[in-house]
Amino acid sequence: MPDIKVTPLGAGQDVGRSCILVSIGGKNIMLDCGMHMGYNDDRRFPDFSYVTQNGRLTEFLDCVIISHFHLDHCGALPYMSEMVGYDGPIYMTHPTKAICPILLEDFRKITVDKKGETNFFTSQMIKDCMKKVVPLNLHQTVQVDEELEIKAYYAGHVLGAAMFQIKVGSESVVYTGDYNMTPDRHLGAAWIDKCRPDILISESTYATTIRDSKRCRERDFLKKVHETVERGGKVLIPVFALGRAQELCILLETFWERMNLKAPIYFSTGLTEKANHYYKLFITWTNQKIRKTFVQRNMFEFKHIKAFDRSYADNPGPMVVFATPGMLHAGQSLQIFKKWAGNEKNMLIMPGYCVQGTVGHKILNGQKKLEMEGRATVITGTLDVKLQVEYMSFSAHADAIGIMQLIRMAEPRNMLLVHGEAKKMEFLKDKIEQEVFVRCISCYMPANGETTTVVTNPSVPVDISLNLLKREMALGGPLPDAKRPRTMHGTLIMKDNSLRLVSPEQALKELGLSEHQLRFTCRVQLHDPHSDTDTLGRIYTHLKSVLKSYSIQHVPDGTVIVESIVIKVTSSAEEPNLKVILLSWSYQDEELGSFLSTLLKKGLPS
Amino acid sequence: THIKICIYFNSGIRGICVAGYTGAKSEILELLLPLKLYAGENQGLCAERDFKVQHGGFSEEPVESLIHIPGTRCVVTTGSSSSALQIWDIGGDDSDVIKRTGVINLKSTPAKGITIAPGLTDEPAVLHGSCISEVQLTEIATGRVLYTVAKESSDSVSGLQFVNACVFLICVSNGTLLMGDIRDPSTCDYPLQDSKSGLHWSFGLRSDSSQSEPSCCTVARLSSSGHMLLYDLRDLQSPFCQTQLNVQQNTSKNDFLNVSWAPVLNRCLSVSGFDGTVHIYNTMDWSTEGQSPQPVFSHRGHEMSHEAKYSSSLPVVTTHFWHQSRPKTLLSAATDGSLHVWDWVDKIIDR
Repeated sequence: MPDIKVTPLGAGQDVGRSCILVSIGGKNIMLDCGMHMGYNDDRRFPDFSYVTQNGRLTEFLDCVIISHFHLDHCGALPYMSEMVGYDGPIYMTHPTKAICPILLEDFRKITVDKKGETNFFTSQMIKDCMKKVVPLNLHQTVQVDEELEIKAYYAGHVLGAAMFQIKVGSESVVYTGDYNMTPDRHLGAAWIDKCRPDILISESTYATTIRDSKRCRERDFLKKVHETVERGGKVLIPVFALGRAQELCILLETFWERMNLKAPIYFSTGLTEKANHYYKLFITWTNQKIRKTFVQRNMFEFKHIKAFDRSYADNPGPMVVFATPGMLHAGQSLQIFKKWAGNEKNMLIMPGYCVQGTVGHKILNGQKKLEMEGRATVITGTLDVKLQVEYMSFSAHADAIGIMQLIRMAEPRNMLLVHGEAKKMEFLKDKIEQEVFVRCISCYMPANGETTTVVTNPSVPVDISLNLLKREMALGGPLPDAKRPRTMHGTLIMKDNSLRLVSPEQALKELGLSEHQLRFTCRVQLHDPHSDTDTLGRIYTHLKSVLKSYSIQHVPDGTVIVESIVIKVTSSAEEPNLKVILLSWSYQDEELGSFLSTLLKKGLPS
Repeated sequence: THIKICIYFNSGIRGICVAGYTGAKSEILELLLPLKLYAGENQGLCAERDFKVQHGGFSEEPVESLIHIPGTRCVVTTGSSSSALQIWDIGGDDSDVIKRTGVINLKSTPAKGITIAPGLTDEPAVLHGSCISEVQLTEIATGRVLYTVAKESSDSVSGLQFVNACVFLICVSNGTLLMGDIRDPSTCDYPLQDSKSGLHWSFGLRSDSSQSEPSCCTVARLSSSGHMLLYDLRDLQSPFCQTQLNVQQNTSKNDFLNVSWAPVLNRCLSVSGFDGTVHIYNTMDWSTEGQSPQPVFSHRGHEMSHEAKYSSSLPVVTTHFWHQSRPKTLLSAATDGSLHVWDWVDKIIDR
């Protein structure tokens, strides 16, 4: 049976190290290649041994697709392409291609230089990896080879994030990566057409939540920041340089402007300029509002937000600082945190999900004392966490309502959920399977390493010869019903890569074969006290009354012919009343022939 | 979308049950209240502010009312079209699906919606009825009728509630209150002194469930024109206070009329169903004569919501509940499908 196989190597019932293998129409595609931020050992990489036990991956993969620049989707890419080995094409959007290497390099620096790891990819590997990247535009169909084509759709979420459609023949799969169905301040909402893929692979991070309204969330955030700043405290917001930080910057900038606030807002250096540079460069990726105001002034040129210098952390007075990295696992944000943690007037706002093992995660779990270690730190030993800790989830992921919206847009035949806590998603599965206006949908939730096989129903296009078409249409009988299938006879010739349907005669001619004729004969015994000629006459009358719409002829040479069936009557001299009826027909009239022999076996009416 | 809420607290799991329908199917959800609600004032740390769908299930027909049976994982619903009560099991840790486990069939299809209330007996039971003569207490596990009201009356029921394990109150939509005891089929009737026709009445009971003595209970009667009477449960004939609230009479949907006493705060009650607001009053300030009392707080969130701005009709609050332990926290839902959890501030006392 034709099918599509999907195997998550990461992000199956789990968040982190997204990597999904898809086998479709004989092609193998790897979707995303992420790193799990919570582990320091091999568990942070996807398990590539599912592709092949040893050796390079090039011959086993037709292409690799990266949905966006978050490290849990692209962090393992240089490791995969340079250390495991892959030389084929890597597809991603232009902004992703521009930003990925920056984040990878930053990540590499922290892991190797600050943490002292040895078995990690090098800067050169990142460069070599990016050379294999083929960038593409939204809604542009790219032919990977003669059979495989891919197309990117806008996903929202972060700059450059895309959902991908992978198509081989009439089978297709859509992979969402991370997406967002509601527009925010700097990005639009995800959109896809009614492409009806066989499988829609969707992230389900917030599938079992009903999210609080964004306005409430933002109002709370601003209230907290304002309160802290008003009482002279400092606010630290750890962020990834690119991503949700831009959204928070716009939010704060607008608020500061409206409330005429004077406290300084800083954004940590290094990645700041590059980040804003890319947002300005890829302005078409942002939402309508930003593009409209871009003419007057660039939304990402902030009036109230300035570049941060390390020494500012010791300045007295209130301030707000956006510092990287986002989970407080290393770098500048951790340094500033150590300095400010002891003062209860200060505040730490974690704006995103924190992977287990990071300092961010420990603090969110309420730890008040932290063991600090490592080189070049300001404070070592135990750190008392006295500052206020807040968690605001600003990440842009689709919730249950968003997932249903996407399903209605795309109308997939099957659903596959990844990137979530799938312990209990039976209710969502039921909900998806019950969507009335989408055809019978099945919903799958594989774990890492588990292969889901979805049977597809591909259509195979076949050329039909004009002669055959004309002949079939010319056949008499009742008027054809356009919706009902009609049986036709033809010969299917499969040669090279083409499929043709032609008439049997033409096929024989092309193949240089001669046609064989098959005739069947059957003898039926009958008691009839008449002469042979009379018996034949009686048979003729009988058949004429039964088979009203068929052509029956009584030929003077002593046969009755029904269509192509020849009927003769003979008898022996010893038993003149025991008639032997000989029926003979060609194989096309097999059905009628069988019918006649059965009929005549029953005898003749008197 | 039409949402009905029922709130309950279940040893350790602080959840609410919500049912809503959008035409095709009704969904029943058990939502965990956001952890943010439990973060103390100065704690600051708050991991989650979203409702988590803990369990969910589907109902073929729109759910009209939904109650939780205390001490169990069981929820009972009524539908607008059927003559049966649906019994649901919310489920445990092994699955997140709410399954229908049974049905209580009624003798006949009621003309109007059925009112239901949880029984407070040891055996899980539900008190239900659409009109007075049909009010009965049915044991959930067996379907056995434990008690039936002996009164023959086709007056329609607008409210039911148990005061303690045996004593219960029925509020008729014309304002009459009946007090019954499941040990005795007869009831005591308390009609209104001057009953105006055309008005729909609802009631709210505050019972101190820890003591289960009728002496600690107060009853509020509210009409669809805003007329409010307050009683001590021991004397349902003479109100100790009556007043006229400054609300607009809502002629369309009487089903949403809702008056509740605050479980923690003394003499505080809340009113909703007239429009898109929930009003909170402190009845300590009320006197029998005098002008309309002013609410100490009005929650206008449903009227001010983003969706309300763009729709032609303003949403109406369908139901509201007080949080069992947090003194100033309420939950409310409206006809636009919005669900709010909110704290209110008494401008005079709290500043």
